[in-house]
Amino acid sequence: MTHTLLAAEGALPAAGVAQSAWLLLALPLFGAAVLLLGGKATNKWGHLLGCATVILAFVYGLTLFLSTTSLKAADRIQELHLFSWIPVDSLSIDFGLRLDPLSLTFVLLITGVGSLIHVYSIGYMSHDTDRRKFFAYLNLFVAAMLLLVLGNGFVTLYFGWEGVGLASYLLIAFWQHKPAAATAAKKAFLMNRVGDVGLAVAIFLMWANLGTTQYTEVFAKIGTLDGGTVLAISLLLLLGACGKSGQFPLQAWLPDAMEGPTPVSALIHAATMVTAGVYLIARSNPIYDLTADGRLVVTIIGTVTLLIGCVIGCAYDDIKKVLAYSTVSQIGYMILGVGLGPVGYALGITHLLTHGFFKAGLFLGAGSVMHGMNDEVDMRQYGGLAKKMPITFATFGLGYLALIGFPFLSGFYSKDAIIEAAFGQEGWRGWVFGGAAMLGVALTAFYMTRLMLMTFFGEQRWKNLKSSDGRDYHPHESPAVMTVPMIILAVGSVFAGFLLTNGNFLANWLEPSLGELKEAGHPPLPAAAMTALSLGLMVVGVGLAWLFVGRKPVPVTKPERVSWVVRAARADLYGNKLNETLFAKPGEALTKGLVIADDKAVDGTVTGIAGALAFLSSRLRRTQTGFVRSYALTMLGGSVLVVAALLMVRFS
Amino acid sequence: MTPTYYLLLSALLFSIGTIGVLVRRNAIVVFMCIELMLNAVNLTLVTFARVNGQLDGQVMAFFVMVVAAAEVVVGLAIIMSIFRTRRSASVDDSNLLKY
Amino acid sequence: MQEQFLAQAQQQVNAPDIAYGAIAPVLIVLGFACLSVLVEAFVAKERRWGLQIGVAAAAIVLAGASLAAFISSNDAAGGPTGKTGVTTLAGAVSVDKPALFLWGTLLALGVLALLLIADRTVGGDMQTEVFPLFLFALGGMMVFCAANNLLTMFIALEVLSLPLYLMCGLARKRRLISQEAAVKYFLLGAFASAFFLYGLALLYGYAGSVKLADIATAAVGTDRSDTLLFGGLGLLVVGLLFKGSVGPFHTWTPDVYQGAPTSVTAFMAACTKVAAFGGILRVLTVAFQSTQWEWRGVLWGVAIASMAIGAIFGLTQTDVKRMIAYSSVAHAGFLLVGAIAMNTDGLSSTLFYLLAYGFTTIASFGVISLVRSGSGEATDLSQWAGLAKRSPLLAGVFTFLLLALAGIPLTSGFIGKFVVFSAALRDGMAPLVVIALVFSAVAAFFYLRVVVLMYFSEPAEDGPTVSVPGAFTTVAITLGTFVTLLLGVLPGFVLNWASSGGFLS
Repeated sequence: MTHTLLAAEGALPAAGVAQSAWLLLALPLFGAAVLLLGGKATNKWGHLLGCATVILAFVYGLTLFLSTTSLKAADRIQELHLFSWIPVDSLSIDFGLRLDPLSLTFVLLITGVGSLIHVYSIGYMSHDTDRRKFFAYLNLFVAAMLLLVLGNGFVTLYFGWEGVGLASYLLIAFWQHKPAAATAAKKAFLMNRVGDVGLAVAIFLMWANLGTTQYTEVFAKIGTLDGGTVLAISLLLLLGACGKSGQFPLQAWLPDAMEGPTPVSALIHAATMVTAGVYLIARSNPIYDLTADGRLVVTIIGTVTLLIGCVIGCAYDDIKKVLAYSTVSQIGYMILGVGLGPVGYALGITHLLTHGFFKAGLFLGAGSVMHGMNDEVDMRQYGGLAKKMPITFATFGLGYLALIGFPFLSGFYSKDAIIEAAFGQEGWRGWVFGGAAMLGVALTAFYMTRLMLMTFFGEQRWKNLKSSDGRDYHPHESPAVMTVPMIILAVGSVFAGFLLTNGNFLANWLEPSLGELKEAGHPPLPAAAMTALSLGLMVVGVGLAWLFVGRKPVPVTKPERVSWVVRAARADLYGNKLNETLFAKPGEALTKGLVIADDKAVDGTVTGIAGALAFLSSRLRRTQTGFVRSYALTMLGGSVLVVAALLMVRFS
Repeated sequence: MTPTYYLLLSALLFSIGTIGVLVRRNAIVVFMCIELMLNAVNLTLVTFARVNGQLDGQVMAFFVMVVAAAEVVVGLAIIMSIFRTRRSASVDDSNLLKY
Repeated sequence: MQEQFLAQAQQQVNAPDIAYGAIAPVLIVLGFACLSVLVEAFVAKERRWGLQIGVAAAAIVLAGASLAAFISSNDAAGGPTGKTGVTTLAGAVSVDKPALFLWGTLLALGVLALLLIADRTVGGDMQTEVFPLFLFALGGMMVFCAANNLLTMFIALEVLSLPLYLMCGLARKRRLISQEAAVKYFLLGAFASAFFLYGLALLYGYAGSVKLADIATAAVGTDRSDTLLFGGLGLLVVGLLFKGSVGPFHTWTPDVYQGAPTSVTAFMAACTKVAAFGGILRVLTVAFQSTQWEWRGVLWGVAIASMAIGAIFGLTQTDVKRMIAYSSVAHAGFLLVGAIAMNTDGLSSTLFYLLAYGFTTIASFGVISLVRSGSGEATDLSQWAGLAKRSPLLAGVFTFLLLALAGIPLTSGFIGKFVVFSAALRDGMAPLVVIALVFSAVAAFFYLRVVVLMYFSEPAEDGPTVSVPGAFTTVAITLGTFVTLLLGVLPGFVLNWASSGGFLS
């Protein structure tokens, strides 16, 4: 039965190079284990081992990718069964890897960007006494993330999902001596739990209704379910995606997570982990294909999030938080893309990949700036850094251009495709989603230009300032171990978009996993007009930023008298407030009520009984008088009772 | 013979012994009352041996006597040792352990 | 009459067959006990202590080895008789699976108790007489578990009790309470054995024999008065319950536990309970199974009374040894719940409970013996306040043992309670199980009270010191704690052994 199903879905047993795919998980896991168990003994070379395992995993992934491209399209989905994981009664979950174009794409992204960021971290964390632990956690993250994308069923995915959540928690709180970092880690962990519950319940529903959680079997049988159940599953999966990917209404944890070291922000909270939600929806494409309502909700969430991210990004002065909200907003684009269904799955993944390059590059650049600026994150203290850090400026600048969609750079190809597809939706949807995405282009251009101007151009404001620990600023270029990864990522930001979209390369490659990329239906405007419009909006955004920020000196302290829009944006568009009033406050009230009920009613009863028993005990123990004759009397009494009772039972 | 009389007598002796344990204070006397209980049991055993026409009960009576003798040895040793430290054989004086 | 006797005398007397292999463990223990007496009499005083430890240890090790040898040959023999065991000495002793399990338990617990007794570095307040007494008591307990007729049982009862009475009074320090404990234990013990004996006599009158199997046969079909049967049963059971310190026949327990030297208390608390419940299980199962519907209700009441007394009296105890004593009363109630579940699960679960409880108890008393102040052991709970701050390891171990006594998961106490209560449930005693659960919750309170006291109270100014344990005590506590944990995590092996077979008569 299983085999026929597998055949129906076209999943073949892994052969050749693919049979060693377990190495992908084992290598980083081995690194993490050695570094964690080895303790201080590994301090000297731990970071090198950490890098080596991930680079080896990348090399293997590349080999696997190349060997797969030589196969026929139909043979590109392979499964590698490792062992029977949870065999309980009728629930039998195999631990297996699914090697198909989608998962291999992610493998390359994770190990590729992961390798670069590992190398970068050698320099960035060189002064940290716990560098070894940092690499151990990074390796753990890579292993968990690979498990997430390689697993051949929802339970394996969930395992990886929780694994990356744990690694993310550990890494956000890496500098746990900072209360902000500890709080941020807790916040990230808790908000992710909300999403995880959704994912878990979705898996329960699949198990309850289909009796399986393996991808092939779920996708083969999902059509037999009624629409309501499919919708419920799709919405619950979306809730999981929202938690992990920082989508509305669970977006608030992602900016706070920037308290972690910058390489973590680049790898986990920009390039890979936060895109797991996009992966989840793209992976579940057979489920979303069946429910138009589910897809609509996904697109709405994506659109709302992309606007929220842009608007808040305009108001922050903290360079990493601006980038974080930019990430929120860009993932909004991806979610919007995959929410469009067959016309958008591949587009979302394309944008995910290009975004992985340029956003990781931007974060690494921000890290490089902070490295030279005594770890200061307030852009108002920067200014005119272009001359001091030429390489950082150049790589950051290329990433910036790619992100705002400058022609012929990565973002231009991947983002415009999503906008066009969004416009292609029927009726009001096309205008609303397309329009919002279009507006996002202008806002993105605005906040990113503002960031560039405040950081790299203008007056060198830091000259007259001291950092919070009292030192003068001496901005300097970062060492080669940091700049080389930035350069590689910058090259990627420039060319990735063209290479991936040229002749629909990526879409064709992903076809076995995501189905054929359909043309968007009825665009109200010709494609060229849309491109022109988006370019125009981009220029408007850049111009406005120059008008607001570039023309005049930037005040060193944040101006307090600002319009309500800025105030709202500075308050995260009241996202935290909303969560607090809607969930935290009622929750607290409920807790308080329960505590009172518990104190008064339950505890009262318990302490009452305990008190009564203690009183009884203190009285009764006086019967243990210490006189042997009274003990004998007790025994005699007991004996008489026992014998009398026996005789009564017998003769009554 | 009517075994009932013997059985009643032994029950009476057993009860007297029991009551003695409860009312007497001197440890030696308490102990003698326990011996009385054992001997009451011996009478019962011998009576039943006679009723059943077996020797088993009588043999058991001998066993009980031997055990009682051993008990006397141990009991007197304990009572002697406590008498030496307390200069009193009253069971009511041994009253440190209570509640 | 006289002719009859003569005629019997002239008959050929056939010596009964003796399966020496089967009873070798008992013979070894009792033989070494006699040897130990000789050592006591003829060896110079300064060399006695070490030699006596050697003799006692050799006794237990050899007995254990012969037990293992018999078990393996018995298992290898197979067949209908080989599997279940043998009865020997003209049917007086039945070496069956439960007896073998109990012997193994007694010997293992004996090793631990011997380690505590032999450690002079902390206690060291006993004379060498304790070793022969210890061996005699252990031998008596082993016979008691295997006794197949009431007379053997009575003799064994005395053989195990008399040395214990003396051992209680052996303390050199705190001599007054030690002797008081001995007197109380002796007088009440003799009183109880008189009851046991009277019960024996009445049953003899009823069945014409004191063999358990004959009593069972007689109870099924005889025209004798049932007054004899139930009166005898009642008195007999009273004697047994006394030994098992089941309430309301527990009155000696707190006083004796508190007064006796701690290592003796450990031995008594663990091994006497094993022997007593071994006897109770055998008597009830072999002799009185057919009349269970008459007596079970009464023992329900006794079990409830015991659990209630143990749990409630324990709540306000201020002496840690008395507290453990009341805990032992409560545990006796739980054990009785298993013992009156007249099925194979009841038997195996009670056996398991005995083993688990024994190890935990001995280790607990080992810990108690280490907490000392100037005048000897500091058993008053107020002196234990804040102990965790001064001695975290000791407090941690004791906490674990208390949790085991309370029956918290991952300890043997939990598994023990679980199997006993589930056996009782299967036998349709749901109300009793509910009551037992309520009282375990109440009892958990006083264990946790000690934990709270150790961890969350400020240490007293003149608090006790924790002495550095000698190697023997360390081994005993470690073993006891380890077994408590092991049986809590992997109880399968012992449970399998405990349920390998029933009684043979």
